[in-house]
This record gives sequence, C-alpha cells and structure tokens, in this order.
Amino acid sequence: MITFFDGVEVGLALCMVTAALFCLFDRHLLRACCFFVGFALCMALAWLILEAPWLAGVEGLIGALLTAPCLFYALGSFSHAAKLPPYDHIREPLSRGVIRTLLALAWCLMVGATVRFIFPEMVYSPTEHPLLLAGIVMIATAMGAFAWHRHLVRRLLAFNVMGSGVFLLLAGLAGTNAQGQALITVGLVVAWLGSLLGALVIRRLYQLEGQIALSGESALKEKGK
Amino acid sequence: MNAAWLPLTAIAASLLAAVIIFTLPEDARRLRTNINLLAAVIKITLVALMVRRVVQGDEAIFSFQIVGSIDFVLRADALGVMFAGLSSVLWLCTTVYAIGYLEGTANRKRFFGFFSLCVASTLGIALAGNLFTFLIFYEMLTLSTYPLVVHSGTDKALKAGRVYLRYTLTAGVVLLFGVVLLYSFTSEHSFASERGLGDYLGDHRTLLTFIFALLVGGFAVKAAMVPLHGWLPRAMVAPAPVSALLHAVAVVKAGAFGILRIIYDLYGIELSVELGVTTALAVAACITIIYGSLRAIAQQELKPRLAFSTISQVSYIVLGVSLFGPFGTIGALAHLLHQGLMKVTLFFCAGIYAEELGIHRIDEMNGAGKRMPLTSLAFTIGALGMIGLPPVAGFITKWYLGIGAIQAEMYWVVAVLVASSTLNAIYFLPIVHRLWFRVGPAHGHGTWPNEQRLGRLETHGWLLWPTVFTAVISLAAGLLAGLPFSPLDWATRVAVGEYLQ
Amino acid sequence: MTWRFGLVESTFTPLLTSHWALAAALCLPLLFGVLAAILPPRRMWPVALACPPILVAGLYLLTDTLHAGLLRWQWEFFGVSVALRLNGLSILLLLLTQWMGAAAALYTPGLLRISEPERFARWLWPLMGVVTSALSLAWLATDLLTLYIALEMMGLAAVAMLLLSGKAAALQAGMRYLLLTLVGSLAYLLGVALIVGYWGRLDLAGLAQVMEPGPVAWMAAALMGAGLALKAALFPLHGWLSPVHASAWTPVSALHAGLVVKASLFVLLQLWSLLLPDAFWAPRLIAWMGMLAIIWGGLIAWRAESLKTLVASSTVAQLGYLMVVFPLLIGPDTSPLARALAWEGFWLQLMGHALAKAAMFMSAGNLILATGETTLKGLAGTSRRLPLSLLVFGVASVTLMGLPPSAGFTAKWLLLHAMVVSQQWLAVAALLVGTLLTAAYIFRFFRYSFMETAPRQRYQPLAPGMDMIALCLALAAFVLGLLAHFPLELLQGGSA
Repeated sequence: MITFFDGVEVGLALCMVTAALFCLFDRHLLRACCFFVGFALCMALAWLILEAPWLAGVEGLIGALLTAPCLFYALGSFSHAAKLPPYDHIREPLSRGVIRTLLALAWCLMVGATVRFIFPEMVYSPTEHPLLLAGIVMIATAMGAFAWHRHLVRRLLAFNVMGSGVFLLLAGLAGTNAQGQALITVGLVVAWLGSLLGALVIRRLYQLEGQIALSGESALKEKGK
Repeated sequence: MNAAWLPLTAIAASLLAAVIIFTLPEDARRLRTNINLLAAVIKITLVALMVRRVVQGDEAIFSFQIVGSIDFVLRADALGVMFAGLSSVLWLCTTVYAIGYLEGTANRKRFFGFFSLCVASTLGIALAGNLFTFLIFYEMLTLSTYPLVVHSGTDKALKAGRVYLRYTLTAGVVLLFGVVLLYSFTSEHSFASERGLGDYLGDHRTLLTFIFALLVGGFAVKAAMVPLHGWLPRAMVAPAPVSALLHAVAVVKAGAFGILRIIYDLYGIELSVELGVTTALAVAACITIIYGSLRAIAQQELKPRLAFSTISQVSYIVLGVSLFGPFGTIGALAHLLHQGLMKVTLFFCAGIYAEELGIHRIDEMNGAGKRMPLTSLAFTIGALGMIGLPPVAGFITKWYLGIGAIQAEMYWVVAVLVASSTLNAIYFLPIVHRLWFRVGPAHGHGTWPNEQRLGRLETHGWLLWPTVFTAVISLAAGLLAGLPFSPLDWATRVAVGEYLQ
Repeated sequence: MTWRFGLVESTFTPLLTSHWALAAALCLPLLFGVLAAILPPRRMWPVALACPPILVAGLYLLTDTLHAGLLRWQWEFFGVSVALRLNGLSILLLLLTQWMGAAAALYTPGLLRISEPERFARWLWPLMGVVTSALSLAWLATDLLTLYIALEMMGLAAVAMLLLSGKAAALQAGMRYLLLTLVGSLAYLLGVALIVGYWGRLDLAGLAQVMEPGPVAWMAAALMGAGLALKAALFPLHGWLSPVHASAWTPVSALHAGLVVKASLFVLLQLWSLLLPDAFWAPRLIAWMGMLAIIWGGLIAWRAESLKTLVASSTVAQLGYLMVVFPLLIGPDTSPLARALAWEGFWLQLMGHALAKAAMFMSAGNLILATGETTLKGLAGTSRRLPLSLLVFGVASVTLMGLPPSAGFTAKWLLLHAMVVSQQWLAVAALLVGTLLTAAYIFRFFRYSFMETAPRQRYQPLAPGMDMIALCLALAAFVLGLLAHFPLELLQGGSA
C-alpha cells in the first residue's frame, strides 16, 4: 500500500514537472498556457494526495478556472481584433541568459541545502519526498525561466509555476495543517490577482504600443523624455 | 520672576511677520509695509524689555524639551541681548530702506518674507541658550538668506547663490559634526554651564582641540575669515539692503558671534588659552585683516571694496576675542556693534549712489558730495569710523583692541592694527576725497551714469533717513561712549560678567 | 528587541470600545473606498466628512495605548490563530498612515477635477482604501500569515494604483514593479516555509522564544530579506522605483513613497531583529548598501532631468539613511545608549521622511500640473507665479536635507549621536555627505525656479486646498522635529 502510494506520488511529481517544463519552455504561447491548465490540475491532484481537499478545490478553482482565462485573455484569445503573435520570437544573448540561470540555480541550491536541515533523512534517500523535490525543481527552473524570458506572458507563466513550487515546498515542509493551508490559500489568491493585473497590463500595453516585452532601462528613460 | 515669553515673542514677532507676508498677495504693498514696520517696532520694544531685565540681573529663559536631554533654550543674557539689540535696530533701518529701495520691483513679497525670516533667525542666534538651539537658527539663517542672495534671478546672482550655499552648507555640516562630537563625549552644549569644559581637559585634550577647530572652522565660513571668505564678495550681487543686512548683522556677524559664544560661553576663555587655540585664532584673524584690506585696495567698484573691507573688519572681533584679557574682549564686543552700525551706513550709501546716480565704480564718484550732501556725509562718517579716526565709534574699538594686545603682551598685534588702519585709510580716503574735493558733473544736468529724479530731498526719504540715522548713531556711539547703554558700556558689562565668572 | 516591537504578552484586555475603534481603523478605509468608487466625490467635502471617523478611531486607540502601554487582540479562524498588537511604535505608524491617507484622499478630488477625467479614475478610491487598511494591518500584525496578507494587499493595490494613469510608460514601469513584487512575495513565502517547517509556528512572539541562530534562520532571513528589500526598493534593488513614479498620479506617489515602501522596511527590520538578533555581517551588509544608496541616489537625483525623477531618486537616498542604522539596531556589541538613540532616530527619520516626501510629491505634482512641464528646465522661473507650491517644496526639502528645525534634523542628530557613541565613523561620514548631496540636488531645482530670465508660460490655476494640504504635511514634519519628544516617548515606552 505504501509503495503503491509512493508510486502515485512519484508519478504525479514527474507529470507535474513535465507539464511545468513544457509550460515554461514551449515557445508556442497558447500551447504553453494549455500546459499550464494541465499543470494546475496536477497541482490540485497533488493537494488531494497530501490530504488537503480544501486546497485542491481552491487550486482547481483559482489555478484552472481563474488564472488560465487570465492568461488566455492576455494572449487575446477571446477577442478577434488584437491577438498577440502566437510564437515568442525574442532571442536573448546567450551570455545574459546563462548568467541569470546560474544565479537562479545557485539560489535554489541554497534553498535545497537548507531544506536538508529540516529533513535530515533526505540525505540518505533523496526521493523520500518526491513532491517536495518536484517543488524545488520547479522553483529552480521557473526562476531560470523568469530571469531568461522577456516575453511578458511567459514571465507571468514562470511566476505562476514558481508560486506553485513554493506552495508545494511549503506544504512539504510545514505539512498541510491549518496554518500551511491558510498561507497557501492566500498565496493562491495573490498569484491569481497578480496574474489578473498582469494580464490586463499586457493587453493594454500591446494595444497601446504593440509591446510584448519590457524594454530596457535605458529605452524607458528615453521614452520618459 | 521668569519671563519665558519674552525671548519667544521677540522671535515670534519676526517669524509671524514672515508668515503673514507670505500669505498676503503680492500687490498688498501698503499692508505689507505696515506689518513690517509694526513687527520691527514690537521687536525693538521686546528687546528693550529684555535689556531692562538683564540690567536688573534677571535673565529671561524659555526652554522646552526636544528629545532626550536636548532642550530648545532661549536665554536673554547680556551678550545675547547685545546682539539682539543690534539686529532689531538695524532690522528697522534696513526694512525702511528696503521698502524704498525695492519700490516698484518684482517679487517683493518673497523678498520681505525671507527678510523677516532672516532676521528671526538672527535673533534666534542671539538668544540661543545652547549649541543645539544655536545650530537650528544658524542653519535657518543659511536657508533664509539664499532667496535674498539670488533675488534678482540673473545668472550672476544664481551663480553667487550656488557658491554661497556650497560654502555655508559645507560649513553647516562641519559644525553639526563638531557639535555632535562634543555632545557625545561631554554631554555638554549649554552656554550657561558654570564649569565650562574644563573637567574634560585631562582626558580629551586633543579631542577638545579638534572639536574647537571644527566649530570655529564652521563659524569662520560665515565670518568670512581667509581662506573661507570666497562667497562674500560674490554675494554682493544681492540688492543693497540685503548686502547691508548680511554684512552688518545677519550672516557675517552670526559667524563672529558663534566664535564669541564658543570661546566665552562654551569652552571658557581660560580653557581656550590653555588649549593654545586662541593664538592660532589671533594669527588667522590678523592674516584676514591684512588680506582683506589689501584686496579692498585693489577693487575698483564700490560694493566689492566694501565687501573686502567687511572681511577685514569682522576679523577685528575675532582678534579681540582671541586676546586674553578684558580689554580685548571689550574691544571685540564693542566692535560687533560699531562695525554693524558703520557698515550698514556705508552699504546704505552705496545703494543710494547706485540707485540715484547709477554709480557703481569708484572713479564715477567725483563730486557726488555736492549732489547728495547728506548721503555723502553719512558715507564719510562711516568711512572715517572704519579707519578708526576719532570721534567716530571705530576709534573706540581700535583703542581698546590696542590696549588689549599690549596687556596680553602680543605686540605684533599692535603692528597689525596700525598697518590695517593705514590700509583702511588708503582705500577709504580717496573715496572721501573724490566725494568732496573733486568736481563732478554739473548739478542737475544728468551726466551721472544713470541719474534719477530730483525731488525736494536728494533722494527718496525711505532711503535717506535710515542712512542718516545709522550715521548719527555711529557718531554718537563714539562721542557718547561714556554714557550708560552705549555700545561700549554694554560691552564692558558683558566683559566684566565673563571675566568674573 | 522583541519588547521594542511589542511582541510580549499584555496583561490588559482591550475594552469593547477599543475593539470597535480597531475595527473602524482597519475596515472603514476599505468601506469608504468602495463607497467612493460607487459615488465618486467631485469636491473635497465628502472626503472631509469621511475622514473624521477613521482619525477619531486612531486617536482613541492612541489614548488607549497611552493608558495600557500595549494592547493585544487574538482570534482563531479555522484553527489559525491571528494576533494583533498595538504598542507605541505601531500606534505612531498607524496614526501617520491615517493622517497621510486622509491628506492624500483630500488632495485627490482637486487633482481629478483639474486633470482630464480618466477612465479609471474611480478605481483610485477603493485602491487607496485597500492600501490604507493594509498598511494599518501591517503595523499591527504579529504573525507571519497576517503580515503576508497585509503586504500582499498593500503591494497589489499599490501596483494597481500606480498603473491607473494608463500611459504606456506607466504600464511598462508598473508591469516591472508587479513582476518584481510578486517574485519578492514568493521569496518571502519561501522564507516563511522554512520557518514553519523548522519551528512549526507563525506567531512572532512565540518564534522569538524558540528561535535559535543557525543555517535555517539565516536562510529564512536571507530569503525574506531579499524579498522585502525588493519591495522596499533598498539599494541595489531600487531600479523599479523612479520609473514607477515618473508617470503616476500625485497622491498615489505620495502614499507609495511615503508609506508603502516603508512598510516593507518595517517588516524587514522586525523579522531580522527576530531571526538574526546577533548577526554581525548581515546588518553591516545592509549598512554598506545604505552608504552606496546615499551616494548613488543622491547622484542620480542630481543628474535628474525631470522633477519627479528627482523626487523619486531622493527616496532611494533617504532609504539609505535608514539602512545605515541597521548595525546599531541589530547585532551584538551595541551599547544600550547607542541602540536607544538609533531606535529613536530610525523611526523619527522614517516618519519625517514619509511626511516630507508626501508633501514634496504633492508640491511637485502641483507645479507640474500648473505649468504642464515636467523637466527642471521647463519649470524655470516658477518662483514668480507659483510661490506657494515652491514654498511647500522648500519646506519639505528642508526635512529631506536634514536641516533644522525639522524631523530630519532631529533624527539626524540622534543617529549621529548614536554613531559617534558606537564609533561608526564611516556611517557618520555617509550621513554628512548625504546632507550635502541632498542640498546639491534640491538647490539645483531651486536655481532653475529662481530664474527671472525664463520665458513666461500660461499657468493653470490649482484647485483650492491642493497647496495647503501639502503645506500642512510639510509643516507636520517641522513640528515632528521640534516636538520629537512626545512621539519618541511613545517609542521607548510600552512594556519594557
């Protein structure tokens, strides 16, 4: 029974990470957003497994039913007039991306190392808590993606994935007691509100200026003048 | 009986005047004038009341706690009242003068508002009972004079304002650091402390010297001591009443007064001598005196010449302070008043010449005495006083300074005094000569550079009467020096107080 | 340090009226905000009617705190206990928030009437209400969950407010701010996760007892510190600040730079003094960053072309003053005298800056609104036509420069005293140099404004009261400096 349950957990963790990776690194934006819906459903399942049905409900509601439409709205899927280009064609210089990714990775390694202090047994069997591990991996990759991408929708996606990773980590570390659930619920609401706000801004920025990425600091200053 | 309200209302009078003036519309000329004059008269009355209290041996003190052990203290002691008296009398004169001088120009609301603010700060400086309070008003003075310096808004004025701020704000920071250091190590910053800082001499000798250097360095900028005088000649672009006020009481005197307070009331004269800082100060003062005079000779325009003369004259005060002994002190204190009166007269005259005849350069002054006899008479009195000729007030000062130097056995100081008087004569007498003994453009034919109207008086009454008044007082302060309440008498009273402590 | 933040048990149970006052202080801003969104006020008087209940509630809480020293409330929702406390510090900050919120709200109708009515204008009111409520909650919260809720409400509402002007530049800057603040809150949450995982509790008072220094505490402190520093625009994470203010509405800028940024700093200090009571390097790192902030912020403001950039960059430098104090507040071997002085100076500086910065943004906004020019050059010669706005700017800048008689000066005095006593000469130098730099950029603007040769433009008259509100704020900073004794007594009081 225990092994079976673990197997489910591992499988779910793998599913989740895969969905997250696709969602983060697919340049076809609509597809990436669809992956995000799948990812959110995986998250809801994970909460069920972690015996937090309330969170599962909230995640399903907020993640799949509220945040995803925000993202689709940002892409312009609901309107016929001003759709965002379906592909993200922005290429970043490799050096910038590598440096940022390394920074993000170093940051997450530190978090991972600290987690070890809370779960000393993980030294012996790192796969003891697959969901926790998935959380750390998701934070690391999302962090890298957030730093690397410039397309605003993709950054918003990265933020959402990162948030989910943090919630998983929180649940894994603190357990799904009342405190943890309260924190995660607030976090989910905040993430949704943030995405909503972000989607509105992206939409309007695209309508006003045709921009899908933040221009650099210097460009902004020139605009200011 | 402790009349705490007295020093507070004295400051509030000019502060309130400033606030009211700022709220009045720009074109409420008559009302503004009335408020200005009313406030000035109220202030003189209040200061007179404070003088009476001091004579009765009772100092009015106002204090409240700002934070922790730091209090805001206003204390009307003999020295403070002396400076307060000077500032309030000269405020009245300069206000009257400024009303006439700025007739019909722009931004008068701003001017008079900051003018009142500037005088309120000066009064605060005079009455500050501890270093913290002193610092508050000292910085307020810096800020409130800036708009006056740049009043004309020309490029030159703005540049002068920048230089002025660069000097004074840096000095303010140095001063703040010194005060904080002093307070942190000794918890002492009151001007009324009985013991002075003598207790700390053993442990903190170097530190005390260092702090002294910081404090005096900070004040020396406003007192325009060489080499920290650079802002003063540039600030001459300000309108004449501002220059008069700046040179006679407000800024320059505030610096000198700060040095007075530091040496007499904070460190104590014995401790200062013990630390050996007074000799250094005396040397610096002498250098400034000679340098200022030499530079003044080189100036071909009237106002810059007066400016360099100020640099030289203010250092007499510092010199007197740094001579150990009652006569030096009396000389310094009396000069604080005398120089104020005489300098204000000179600047008033310079302003009138510029306004009435368009004279800015010295070689344009030929024969101005015939055209404007009263003004020129006032100018002559001021100039003679600056040289130190009897019976004008300046003579008294130099006399006492000389005696003080001899008593302190610093004979080279006497030499400096003689040299300086000679130099003063070299740059003032030619002007007097030009005024009276050279033939100028024919009367009323408009060949002055920029001659104005010819009324019944030689110039506008608002300009003329304050000038005559200050000239008469300068003369009286010299002639009637023996009477009670003359500057000399009051200076003696303060000096006796300092040395009997 | 825990007692300074009032994280101790209180022997007093709050009175029933105190409960109502608390409820009013926390909920009324929200309520009125929503009300104003439904019926947007066109004049000042509806706002003036709405403010008194909130202010009275605040004053009532003040008298209560004066009597009891420390008030505590505790509730339990679904197994999660939530506690609020009111000590001298939090009541001060609460009052500051309420009065500044009221000032900003009173300022708004005039602004909206003069500037073209925007599509989103009515949204400003509820957002302002949310920010005020969230700020009030942030000062009172004593557990990580409530703090998180307060910070997020505040952050999101602040972003939304800053976006309202709807210009492309505002959207760009706002989007950057949004992304950063969201990531910052995730970093905070991660830190919370570590703390809850290791110690299993969220209330600060309880944590203070069980907390012991170690890698987990350090890591949590680093994570939360990074997140909060990002939200508080502490150098070198300040990049988002000035673009955000460049095109925001005036009252929004005033609230944001005055209070919102400070709230994150408040939480940061509170958490660090809990997590890292004896850390040596972390507060010093902040202090060094603070020194750089003073210099860098000053230089940026000095080079600034537009007035708003100048004012916003000065916030970076002014936050530097607060950062420099960190080693005196947190960490070992600080003498009690120095710590007490630094504590007083820190909050005085924070409050003084909040008032002055709000006043400055308002007067800058007035100048820009009246002339239609945003650059310093364009504003040349304003002293003639807009003397009052300029005077307000001047009065506010006296506080920023730290010249007497202002809260900035008294705070600087206290801080310098503390630094001299603990012999931190580098910090002393930073503070003094900061004064000069501030004066340099402030007077750079004044030099333009005093120019008489500038061309005359047409001026738009301002709505009545717009200047007076700003003037009141600026003068409040003066009064705070001269009467610093009273608020500081509150700070040191409480249940020591």
